[in-house]
This record gives sequence, C-alpha cells and structure tokens, in this order.
Amino acid sequence: MTDPANFRLRVTFCKQGRLCMLSHLEIARALERAVRRAGLPYAISQGFSPHMKIAFGAALPVGVGGTCELFDLQLTRYVAPQKALAALQAASVADLMPSAARYIEHTAPAASVAFPKSTYLARLSALPEGGVVVPETVTVVRKKKEKTLAVGEYLLGELELALAADGDAGDASVVAQLRFKLESKPTGSLRPDVLLANCTDGAGNTLQAATITRVAQEA
Amino acid sequence: MREHLTNLWPQVAPLVAAADRPSRYIDHEFGAVRKPDADFRFCMVYPDTYELGQPNQALRILVNAVNARPHLAAERGFIPAPDMCDALRREGLPIFSMESCAPFGEFDVIGFTLAHELVATNVLEALDLAGIPLRATDRAEDDPIIVAGGPCAYNPEPFYLFIDAFSIGEGEEAVPDALELIRQLRLQGASRADILRALAAQDGWYVPSLYRLRDEAAAQQAGSWLEPAQPGVPDTVVKRIYEGFATSPGWEPCVVPYAEVVHDRLSVEVLRGCARGCRFCQAGMMYRPVRERSVRNIVESVKAGLAHTGYDEVSLTSLSSTDHSRIAQVLEQLNCAFAGTGTRISLPSQRLDSFGVDMAGLVAGQKKGGLTFAPEAGTQRLRNVINKNVTEDDLFAAIDAAFAAGWRRCKLYFMIGLPTETDEDVKGIASLAQRAYDRAKKAVPPEQRGNIRMSVSAALFVPKAQTPFQWDGQIPPEEARRRAHLLRDSVKYKAVDVHWHDPATSFVEAVMSRGGRLAAEWVETAWKRGARFDAWTEHFNEQAWRDAADEVGLDVEAVAQTSYEPGYVMPWAHISTGASARWLAKERYRAAEEITTPDCTFGACSACGACPGLESGNVLAALRVAAGSNAVGDGVSAGPPEACDGAASNARPSRRNPYISLLAIEDDCAQENAVPEPHGFGEGGGPQ
Repeated sequence: MTDPANFRLRVTFCKQGRLCMLSHLEIARALERAVRRAGLPYAISQGFSPHMKIAFGAALPVGVGGTCELFDLQLTRYVAPQKALAALQAASVADLMPSAARYIEHTAPAASVAFPKSTYLARLSALPEGGVVVPETVTVVRKKKEKTLAVGEYLLGELELALAADGDAGDASVVAQLRFKLESKPTGSLRPDVLLANCTDGAGNTLQAATITRVAQEA
Repeated sequence: MREHLTNLWPQVAPLVAAADRPSRYIDHEFGAVRKPDADFRFCMVYPDTYELGQPNQALRILVNAVNARPHLAAERGFIPAPDMCDALRREGLPIFSMESCAPFGEFDVIGFTLAHELVATNVLEALDLAGIPLRATDRAEDDPIIVAGGPCAYNPEPFYLFIDAFSIGEGEEAVPDALELIRQLRLQGASRADILRALAAQDGWYVPSLYRLRDEAAAQQAGSWLEPAQPGVPDTVVKRIYEGFATSPGWEPCVVPYAEVVHDRLSVEVLRGCARGCRFCQAGMMYRPVRERSVRNIVESVKAGLAHTGYDEVSLTSLSSTDHSRIAQVLEQLNCAFAGTGTRISLPSQRLDSFGVDMAGLVAGQKKGGLTFAPEAGTQRLRNVINKNVTEDDLFAAIDAAFAAGWRRCKLYFMIGLPTETDEDVKGIASLAQRAYDRAKKAVPPEQRGNIRMSVSAALFVPKAQTPFQWDGQIPPEEARRRAHLLRDSVKYKAVDVHWHDPATSFVEAVMSRGGRLAAEWVETAWKRGARFDAWTEHFNEQAWRDAADEVGLDVEAVAQTSYEPGYVMPWAHISTGASARWLAKERYRAAEEITTPDCTFGACSACGACPGLESGNVLAALRVAAGSNAVGDGVSAGPPEACDGAASNARPSRRNPYISLLAIEDDCAQENAVPEPHGFGEGGGPQ
C-alpha cells in the first residue's frame, strides 16, 4: 500500500439464482446498502450530493449471473480484509454474497475497465445437433438505432461445447455447457445473451440456454 | 388450512425473465420473512404493482403483526404489471405471493389494503387471476376468506360484493386477532358462514352479507341504509384504534427492495392522526385521536432502522410531521447523529404555518430538492370555509424562509371545485402563486433568480365519506376543465407552471367515494369491460366506466354531483370513525358561515366525539404550542436524548382539553429498541 491514508478494498461477490434478474443499477444499490448494513467505515464524496465512494465492475446484463463480480470500496481507515469480508457476508443475501476482499493500490485501474475479457458459461437444456453455428454479425438495437456488430471483433477463440455432467448446477434439465470468451472494447461490447440468441445449431434452431454465468474476468 | 403451498416459481420464472422489470417478481429481498412452519397463511395484498405497494406502511405493519403470532404466517402480494397479468393468463398460471411464490387461492385469508378509490378494479383483477369467484356469495367453503381495510373501508359499499369482511380502522391488533379467531374456527370445522358471523361480532369488523338494504325513506328515518339481518350483528361498526401506538417502537423490520420503488427509503412514523380539521380531508377524520411518539423513540428508531436496512435516507412520516410537539428536538438530534454520513432526513409534509426560519434551518443541511406546500385554496375566505387555518402571511413567511435557506423550487398544492368556490377564488390561486414568486425573488440573490421555479398543482375536489364535505357534490368534469383553464389563463408569469389532474379520474373517485351498493355492480361491470390500473393515466379507461354505468343503470352523475343537506343519511352511516355525524354536520354549517374550528391538540376540545366514542384521547410528547413554534429548538442538539425528553415531564396537560395526555418521561421501548453497533466498526462513514 503506497498511501496509508487510502484504503481501497476490492470485494469479489457472486450474482446468482433469481438475483441474476437484477439490473446493474439494482445490484449497485443493493451492494451500497449491504456496505452500510455491514457498518464499514466507508468514505463519502465531498460535494453537492455526498455519496459513498464505491465503484462497480463491468456490468452484467439482466438475466446473466456471475461468480467473480467485483466492486471497489474506499474506506476511511484500515479494517482487516477478513473482518471486512465477514461483516459484508453477515449483511448480504445468499445470492449476492461476497466471497473475497483484499486491498488494492490506489493507482490500480478501476474494476470496470481493468478486466475487459470475460469468460461465460452457458448451460443448455438441449444438445445442439450438429454443433453450434456462430453468426458473423449480430444486429442490436441501441437507443432506437440499429447497429451491426462483427462477432469476430469481440469473440476470443472458439466456443467450447461439452456435455454436462448429470445434475449440472443442480439442474437435471441441463444437458450441455457452452464456454466462450468475449472482450469488451472502448467502443462497445457484445452481450453474451445476445450472442447466444443469435447462435444456432446445425439445423438452424436457436440454442436453449438455461442460465448464462460469467465465470472469469481477465485483463 | 392446507398442508403446504405450491411453489410456482419453476413455471413463473420464464415469464418473469421476459417481463418488464423482473425485479418486481423475484422476492428474495433483504428482510423478507418466511415462516414455513406456520399452519395458517395470510396473504397481504396491495392492489397495484410492486413499486407502488412495497413501500406501503400498512403492508409492512400488518405483515409484521401477523408474523409475530405463533401459527400465523403472512406473505406479501401485489398485482403484476399489465404485461405480466396478460402473460399469466396466456400460460394459464394464477397470481402468486412473493415469499412462497404460491397461488393466492391456497391461502387461508387474503387481505387487500384499499388505499384509494381507484384500486377497485385491481382487486377484481387479482381475484380473477387467482381463480377465486369475484362475488363473496359465489365462493366455496375452501376458497380463501377475503378481507379488506384501509381508507376506502370507511365507505365499504362499492366493494361489498367482493369482500367477505372489512376491518375498520387500525389493524395492528384487529387483523392478527381476527386471523387467530378464523384459524380456531377452521380447526373446529366451522363453516364459512359461521366464521363470518363470528367476525361480525368482533369490534371493528363489518360483514356486508349480514345486512339488508333499506329504502331511502326508511334509511333517513333509521339513520342508516343498512339493517342487521341477524341478531348479534351491530347496527354501527366503530373503527378500532391501536392503543399502544404512541409507546410502540417506531422501528420495525422492513423489506429492502431491489427495484426502485416510489418511496425508496426508511420510514419512521412519528405520529398518527391530525386534528387540524380540514373539512375536505378524510385522513384527518379517520386517524383521530392524535398520538405522538417520543423524541427518544423516534431517534432510536431512525438509528436502528438505518443500521438494519442500509438505507441512506429516512422519512419522518405522518399526516403532518411538523405538528409533532417536539419535532425540533427530533431534527436537532438526528442532524447531530448523522452529520457527515451522507444520510438524508426528510420531512414529507410541511405545514405552511410551521415552516419558519427555524424549521428551514433544521432541514437545510440536506440536499435541497423541491419544497411542497399546500395552501389548498386561493383566498382567505375559501381557506376559512375549508378550515385550512393558514394565511397568506404564513405562506409568504414560509417562502421567505425556504428561499433564503437555499431552496429554489417550490410546488403549491390547491384544490378546485371546493364547496362555495367562485371564479374569484380560482383567480386567487393565480394571484397567490404569483405573489409567492415575487417573495421568492426578493429572498434570492439577483444572479440566482433565473433558477426559481414555482409550480401550481390543482386537484379536483373529491367529496370524501366521513368528512364535513361528504354532503357536497363534485363539480362536473366540464366545469372543472373550465375552472382549470381559468386558472391557467390567470397566471401571467412564465416561471409559474400550472398542472391539473384529469377530471375524468377524479369523477370516478367521487362516485366510488360516495356510492352505495349499486356502485359495486358498476365496478364489476367496468372491470369486465376492461378497466384496470385506473390510477395509471396510460391505463385509465374512461369508456369502460361510462359504458358500465349505462349497463347497470347507475346514475353516476347523481352519485358524484348531488349535494345534500348536512344531516342527510349517507350510504356509509353504519361505519363510524368516532367523529359523530352530528359534529360533521355542525362543521358543514360552520363552513357555510366561514367560521374556522381550531385544532384541539393545541387547545380546547372541538367535541368531534372521537375521544369519548373510542374511549381514547390525544397523546402528545409535550404540550403543543401556537402554530409554528414547534420548530423552535431548545438548544440541546448535542445533548443526550434524556436531556431533551426530561423537559416533557414538567409540562401539564391542558386544562381546557380533557382529552390530551402526555407521554411519561420516557417510555421503555427505547431500551428494547437499542441496537448495538454492528460489527464494531463504529459510526458508518465519515468525510474523507
């Protein structure tokens, strides 16, 4: 820690179960409230509208879960990471549970931009006959404007299809898993759920994804 | 009583994923309570969407009160948004509760809170989505018993077809007591009819099926339109009050929602009731007497509530929070306790005559959004008619204080169509707002004057049951539009905006507010013709209501617009708030003479009848002093709560009003209420 007056705690948490359906803003609000319930000595911005100094990692779409989501919290004094984690866990609901906390350098890049490469795991309820066909482009509508994204710009490597072990994630209807890595660009990103919705099996049928989960975030 | 509830989540989940705002339906919030071991289940329904219903105080209070009893479990229920209602119907799935995601039809009792007149069709939407017969008489032994309460239960007749039993008044004890009674009777194998008869014998319960309708002549003769059809059924149902309110903790557990809801903050009820006596105001009549919580109770409740929920804002709620006899001490102590933590303390209802320089200072530490004041009428004559008891000078003093303290936006609430209103009164609204704007300009440095915004919001007067104006008809919608346009054209300042409510919805409100039993058939027919979510401008279906009136033969204009002599027996005469019909009539005569009636909590009893009728009285934390002065602190902001509350012990109850008592030096709840600092990290945050 270069600046002892600066305690920047990076917390890892999961977004799972029904809470996958929360939006990024709803998650942000819920985490802020958990921090307050935990009684941590969080820092407050100075200005016209004082608010907690907290920053969130790259947003997940509504419906997509995560096992290694991040937020950075500025504290006004040192609290042992394990104690801070225990307090946060006691103040959190199971499906939005923190799993790790560590201090990071105050110069470290923000969690929202530090890890542009995300690995996703989609659990499929039907085995794609004849493999997965990935489209070359995907058309999305943003702010009423159509935009065509070249999948190759965002997709890193191949989609890996594997048969699911019995009772995958406690759900017997899951028969296969699809693992893929997407990179977000300063100009935009391709949502994992949108990519999947545009993929087909060999016969041209859409894939049936039971859940989509971000399982890794890398620099 | 069923063995267990069906979990519909696996079937509902795909619909939720595809719905607008899935977070409305997912439950699993921090603070949501499950009681799987209970054998008797109650679903407390707010008949609108989650965002509107979740913050509702009645829902929170009653769910907690029921869950506090052994054997009983309470869950929350809301009406899915229209897209989800349609999806459920398409898939053949029923409406479901939050906690267990269980069909409404599997609960033993379903409760609806009738918060306002426009929820009526949503009650039917819920029953239909549940597969429960709309009409009480069509329900089978195994169907849930449908109960309802809240403001609209004070004229329950437009709901009488659909509700098995109404709880009149405050439900903290009445609802769990009734549920225990029903559970016992069910265990003994009692029939639905037996259960309803037993409920009717309980204080504060009205079972409409046990009454016969009289004709008009007989009703006027007897003093009530309804006649008990069986022995043991009371002629008049008097509301229940929660005697323990003042000394009960202001903090009680609450659910912290994920979705952005309409009041997304902690609320602590600082007092209940308001005796200002505004003659149009139903809340002011139905929550009597006035009961204040102590300073220590409120302050400890706010601390505990914020620590438990993680909210960064608290609202000190009541009908008129600045009337609390020790509101200044409350604000001083809270400002001191939360300085530098980014916590906002908001006071939702500012009375004009109590918002002075002192009060502006006490709430000035906050981010300054808009301030709202309600002069209600544009001229002193009309304000005297409605007993608003505020003057132009009160308004101007409040404006001076607010704009000098840094506020730049102010909204003024008025009503148009009040009894005796003339065009001069309407023009008076414009004149008052413009002069208020002039005052604001003077209070603000010249370079900031461009930021001043003054807006005027005009609602159409709706005659409410159980008020002195219950006998006054509403002006027709076309006349309301004429007066609204007169108001708009009378405002010459560009910086003063004028908004008004759609008279078509206010018309439906007036019919619902004053209707008798035929109005229930009107509601049912309107729902069948597509009316639902009537409080939502984009869903209000005026044609459905018009066509329904023709179909059932209800002269809705007559219901909404006829004026009667004070003393005429109205369709809700068998329901009593405690304030006597004779006093209401007397108040109406005083209105005609432009004579005001003072607030009894500041002095002499006004003989409304509520205190003796309910065997109760006003409970204050300290004697209230002349208007405005409650805002003056005693300079002990940094002191411990004990130091403040000690002062109350020296005060004596008013000699002029036997129905005022003071809270003891301190009630015990503060100790039970005290919350240890969580995890020992000390006081939340601090400025860096």
